[in-house]
Amino acid sequence: MAKDKPTSIRVRMYRVGFGDCFLVTFPAPSGPEHVLVDCGVHERGDVGTIQKAVENIAEVTDRKLALVIATHAHQDHVSGFGKFAAQFRKFRIGEVWMPWTEDRQNPKAVKLKQKHRAAIARLQMYFASLPPSAEQRAGDVLQAINNLAGNEPALEQLHAGFGVGAKVRFWKAGSFASAPGDIIGLDARILGPPDDPDFLARMDPPPSQHYLTAKTGDGAQAPPPFAAKWIQEGAFPEYPLSKGELASIQKYAEEPPDALAFALDQAINNTSLVALFSFGGKYLLFPGDAQYGNWQYWLQGQDSNRILSEIDFLKVSHHGSLNATPKQAIDNMGGASLAAMVSTQNKPWPSIPRLPLLEAIRKRTRNRMVRSDSLQLKEPAPKGPAIDRMPAGFTQGDMWFDYSIPI
Amino acid sequence: MQRSRARSRRVGAAIVASPQLAAPVPRILPERPLKVYAFDPTLGRSLGNHMTVRIPYEPDLKPGPIGKYIAVIDYDGVQKKYYRPVNLNEASVLLSGGIDPSESNPQFHQQMVYAVVNETVRRFEFALGRRIRWRRGGDPKDPLRQKLKVFPHAIAAANAFYDREMRALLFGYFAAESADFSVNLPGQLVFTCLSHDVVAHEATHALVDGLREHFTEPTSLDTPAFHEAFADIIALFQHFSYKEALLETIQRSGGFIHAPQLAPETSPGNRTPLVQTELTPTNPMVELARQFGEAMGPRKALRAALGTPPESLDIDVVTEPHVRGSILVAAIFDAFFTIYIRRTRDLLRIARAGGLSLTAGDLNSDLANRLAGEATKTAQHFQNICIRALDYCPPVDIQFGDFLRALITADTDLVQEDPFGYRAAIAEAFRLRGIRPVNAASWSEESLCWPDPEGGISPCQGLQPQRGAADPSFRGSYIALSKFGKANAAALGLSQETKVQAFSFRPVHRVGPDGQLRLGYVAELVQKRDKVPLDPQDAKSPTFTFHGGSTLLLDADGTVRYAIAKGLDDEKRLAAQRGYYERLATSMAATAYREPPEEIFELPFAAIHRGF
Repeated sequence: MAKDKPTSIRVRMYRVGFGDCFLVTFPAPSGPEHVLVDCGVHERGDVGTIQKAVENIAEVTDRKLALVIATHAHQDHVSGFGKFAAQFRKFRIGEVWMPWTEDRQNPKAVKLKQKHRAAIARLQMYFASLPPSAEQRAGDVLQAINNLAGNEPALEQLHAGFGVGAKVRFWKAGSFASAPGDIIGLDARILGPPDDPDFLARMDPPPSQHYLTAKTGDGAQAPPPFAAKWIQEGAFPEYPLSKGELASIQKYAEEPPDALAFALDQAINNTSLVALFSFGGKYLLFPGDAQYGNWQYWLQGQDSNRILSEIDFLKVSHHGSLNATPKQAIDNMGGASLAAMVSTQNKPWPSIPRLPLLEAIRKRTRNRMVRSDSLQLKEPAPKGPAIDRMPAGFTQGDMWFDYSIPI
Repeated sequence: MQRSRARSRRVGAAIVASPQLAAPVPRILPERPLKVYAFDPTLGRSLGNHMTVRIPYEPDLKPGPIGKYIAVIDYDGVQKKYYRPVNLNEASVLLSGGIDPSESNPQFHQQMVYAVVNETVRRFEFALGRRIRWRRGGDPKDPLRQKLKVFPHAIAAANAFYDREMRALLFGYFAAESADFSVNLPGQLVFTCLSHDVVAHEATHALVDGLREHFTEPTSLDTPAFHEAFADIIALFQHFSYKEALLETIQRSGGFIHAPQLAPETSPGNRTPLVQTELTPTNPMVELARQFGEAMGPRKALRAALGTPPESLDIDVVTEPHVRGSILVAAIFDAFFTIYIRRTRDLLRIARAGGLSLTAGDLNSDLANRLAGEATKTAQHFQNICIRALDYCPPVDIQFGDFLRALITADTDLVQEDPFGYRAAIAEAFRLRGIRPVNAASWSEESLCWPDPEGGISPCQGLQPQRGAADPSFRGSYIALSKFGKANAAALGLSQETKVQAFSFRPVHRVGPDGQLRLGYVAELVQKRDKVPLDPQDAKSPTFTFHGGSTLLLDADGTVRYAIAKGLDDEKRLAAQRGYYERLATSMAATAYREPPEEIFELPFAAIHRGF
């Protein structure tokens, strides 16, 4: 790869479907250095390209990654690390980064993880007991649960540093890394996730425990709170409840745990490692899937407006969903050179991406934004809007878009 | 008039000097004593936790209990079973002052919710000087339609809430999580209906909804927070009526009842405590729903009543309704403790001059009794001021700053002389927490009072005191009010273009400048704009109904004394409301995955608004 000395940072967004896979290449003094941010796809939004993406990464990087970041433990961000573990084990990898919430030596993280795991298990049990018709109705919820579960193989690889001696590091908001992965000239400022108690409280699964009532596998019910002698056989003697009232109470008592599933999904999105890279005077923000709570935390900081105003490149958070990019952030973001990439498609969730939000980002970036599903694939895949004219600085390949930032 | 608010308690029957031979007529007991937990089951018998409340005696109380105001229906939505209803009129129960506190006996739970809800109702009636009523509605065929239904074990959830549509309180029970040194065993069932605070809190939601139906409509950060704060304020002030618990707190805090910690029973000296009597317990007076809080994990800190110290900037950043509400709670309690300290300063001075010890745990019992009396009296004053202020709030879109002005105006109307400076203390406590009065010229007491209406409004004719829908004057007064509103729209702060609905009409009492009790009225006039799009540029965006209106305080002859308005034409207010909805929508997890609904209220607002 002895070419002219490159003078720009390149961000490559692979179109994997509903998921994230970004390869960032920095023109370090020693030659191009590569950072891989996430590698995963949601099983219901897979367009069948992720294997080729991993092959391309191997080729482009000559199997050398200075740094691998898994922003958070969701299928659509980490599945590739598990599925293609054999390939990744042939790489030389300098460092593996994860949010502090994945740190198995941190008691707070372990406790949070246990809670999340228990809630996920209960949700799975609940939905497993439903008849197929109900499953159809609750499709959007089920997909959220799919995303939460079954990520252990990928996480094992990450924690083991892929068995190639990569240094595994965990980060929390407020930290600063100089020359991460030994990339000279690169700095990383970590904006999320925070580890203060208020934030943690919000990470908890919601307190509602109505899923206690969910039928367990063998159809048993939650144990009664009082001895049998207190039970009144039949209806209330004089004033029976109306059908409507009984239905309302039943609705509350057996409320489907949709809210829990979404809240849990959001809680894990909010454990996203949010990294602000700076190299050669350019700033790149990779917020993972940070949603409302995570952004909220650092946007309250004193220098948040300055940070925002300096950003040159934004990886749009959470596939462009409604509550993943605060309006305040867009309004204050970037100077004249701001560009953005969003890895998205409207399957499995038709309401993602949120179009008015993408429109606002498009305006803010003066059209320097592409969405991954604009890329035509040979395989059948959901189609995003076609691009009439490629914005300045962007190019496209077989299954990726590139954006280059001159320095 | 001086601040002597003691009002003689009504007694059932007058005692007539009896002729010598007449057989003694058995006097009906005016009150029914019932045992409840002062706090919740975890405190056991300590700190006066087993207490008796006295509530008005209802001779024809049905099993349930089903009384005049509430119907306790113990239906468990999880087990799909009813629990046997308690009969409080059974001789064995009557003779022992109610069933003894017990976690395992659902009939005690039924008794406790009945007692605490009625106790809360009584506070409101005492403050307002009129009968309360619940929110209108319900099935006309339902024999319990006039009552608030209370379900002590409706759901299995760490939650309790007021459901407007059912006009019911639903309490949950749940298994506690494990936490170090928790008062709850892991997996132990926690009953929200056994927490005095939770029951009083939910009952207050229902009472406020009966007085001001539009306050449950979330229109800004302040509106849902106000509902929560008000419910907490009433629940907390109730603590100061528990004689035994209060006395012990005063003993163990040296009279400083706002201290977060109490003195230990025995001093550990300079070493770390070795036995439990050397531990410093938290002060239950200023803590809300302790067991519930512990069971919920890290959220417990959020509900500490005195959470927001003066000169904090929380009001600008805190958005979660319960937490934001705690700023208002802190302001009210700051004023309350300030007045309590002022009222007791002389007692402490006298005690000191007499050489009495003022050390915590070592207070003279006469002194402690007098201090407790002052605390109870002051708490009752404050509770009354807060409840009466509801009549002086605008009908919709309440802001904390509106409530401040309502408090000051309502209190000025009742008590002209204010030697202890209640009003100044309230204003200062609000100022210190960044809560600013809406549209007031300055922080002076005079500017904080709602202004006199513009001149030239002739009195509203045709108003008559009414007793309810059966009274022929009932509809007449409403018709007169809406006509009056339409004719004087501009002067009353109403929109001239839109229909005026007379929403409520009730009697209200005040004390005139001559010291005489005067009858007047309070009426809500409400206006609305239907189907306002969330995004003014996008007709397809979700819509909502925008409300405006004016609260009128009228003299008996129909003269308008105050018109407290929230304009329907106020574009700034509309823009703020839009901004609030947008922000709310983006903070909800589900909105990421589902298409926005047609009506903004189909968003899961219920989730934020309901629950303790």
